[in-house]
Amino acid sequence: MIGSVFVEILKTTWKQMVYWGVGLSAMGLLVVIMVPLFDMQAMGKLLESFPPMILAMIGVGQDLEVFASNEGFVAIGFFGKSALIFAVYPVVMGMRITANEEDSGTMDVLLSLPVERARVIIEKFLAYAVSCAGVVILIYLGLHLGVILGGVELDVLRLAEVTFYLIPLLVFIMAATMLIAVFARRRTVALGVVTAFVIVSYMLQTIGTAAEGTVAESVGAVSFLTYYNAGDILAQGFIWPHIAGFVILSGIMLLASLYRYERRDIGI
Amino acid sequence: MASDSVINIRGLSKTYGSGKKQTLALNRLDLSVAQGEIFGYLGPNGAGKTTTIRLLLDLIRPSAGSATIFGLDIRADSVEIHRRIGFFPAELSLWEGRTGDQIINYVASVRGDTKGIVKHADELAERLDLDTSKKVRDLSSGNKRKLGLVIAMMHSPELLILDEPTGGLDPLVQQTFHEMMDEYRAKGKTVFLSSHVLSEVQAICDRVGILRDGELKAVESVEKITNVEFQWVDVVFRDAVPAGLQQQLERLPAVTNVSTNGTRVRMRMVGDFDPLLRVISGGYVETLHIEEPSLEEIFLAFYSGDKEKTE
Repeated sequence: MIGSVFVEILKTTWKQMVYWGVGLSAMGLLVVIMVPLFDMQAMGKLLESFPPMILAMIGVGQDLEVFASNEGFVAIGFFGKSALIFAVYPVVMGMRITANEEDSGTMDVLLSLPVERARVIIEKFLAYAVSCAGVVILIYLGLHLGVILGGVELDVLRLAEVTFYLIPLLVFIMAATMLIAVFARRRTVALGVVTAFVIVSYMLQTIGTAAEGTVAESVGAVSFLTYYNAGDILAQGFIWPHIAGFVILSGIMLLASLYRYERRDIGI
Repeated sequence: MASDSVINIRGLSKTYGSGKKQTLALNRLDLSVAQGEIFGYLGPNGAGKTTTIRLLLDLIRPSAGSATIFGLDIRADSVEIHRRIGFFPAELSLWEGRTGDQIINYVASVRGDTKGIVKHADELAERLDLDTSKKVRDLSSGNKRKLGLVIAMMHSPELLILDEPTGGLDPLVQQTFHEMMDEYRAKGKTVFLSSHVLSEVQAICDRVGILRDGELKAVESVEKITNVEFQWVDVVFRDAVPAGLQQQLERLPAVTNVSTNGTRVRMRMVGDFDPLLRVISGGYVETLHIEEPSLEEIFLAFYSGDKEKTE
């Protein structure tokens, strides 16, 4: 029956989604509640005194005015600082699409049923994408709760934009993980390659941000994290070409995974 | 055979790895299994049994050759084939965090006929004395295998493909399993059962294929294979082995490979026991142990001339 794998994945994943979502939203809530404790003008001056590399490492670009605001404080304190933490959840979910089930042997049982390999991958991909979206929704609820509880003056629409922009980013990371796992076959190898991919991307983004206006800036353009910049989103709202880029690349990686998985041995 | 065969394999080969690390796991296998037959697929570990089964299920792809099940190509028509077969893997792995009931419902929903399948699954679970309300991680290995059997059989498939199904099951459940296989045969359904346990194959199979080093060495009726059967006999005397006993034993036509070690005598025995009992009665026999030959020994005996000796 179409949708049965999708429903099963949601049934088996909702608890992890809630745990991750609640944990991350608690972090966000804490950052939002702390906003009134800081003098944002003084924060702006403090940021001006930092060298570009340090600013880049905490996720701040050249647009310091944006960051010397309540929204900017949340952008630095939560979204900028947590980029690598956000990446963990979609990596875990991406590994579950094929690698974990192949490694444990349950994929043999699943694929011995009347179901195409492509259907298994598509339904699992969609279910885990929904799960990533669920985590993001919970993060937003935590931030919004912080605004209410702390009586913080924040543009909740912009806050929502920064938060929901995470969905295409997380789906992209999940798609990249799935693709690597489909090619690498071995779970441990796939996990190692994915971890290296995320960390190298983070480093390239940091270098690119620190070297804005120089030739080295182009290095950062290679990193997918460059296209999720909380400061830029706060200043400009949704950057649709970046979102489209994440969606298109995720689609391409899904198609490449389907192509490869259809043609290779399972569990070898 | 081919016209009414459920499984038809022609020149199927599988090579793993590439370059110097290449391993030939299955070499040009030709095999047919008829409808209503329980076919035993015998071979020692690493012979290529699981590779054959995984090829039939389209989990791995052949390096050469082809196969059909119900006349359908195992690659092009795998979904339709899977609708009509039940599979039990040798290294059964199920979703640890789910209960038996949840897994049964999941598998039934993928199969697309939840109501009827689940009802039959409940009947099978009851027959196998399996509590399906427990999570898989809380089940013993034997109960996990029972759940695997329920999943394989719950949709009453036309063909069951079972890879070493009874390892870890207690004797009573094994007996129930054998009865289930007899019922399958009576309904005209087909079973392809891999095993390295000769007694199991003897108990339920009609024909046996012997696989060794990736090559099918023989396909025979169970009776023919078991005609070459011999036993290893261990005799332990209370005191020392009686003088001249070894020479007396070696003179017996049914006895070979005699060796002594302290108070113990070990020999390979074919045929009637009476001549042996008369010879050893000269000493005080403390224990007499008879051991079934391994599959490999049966295989070697079958092809090294012992066949003629036993007939």
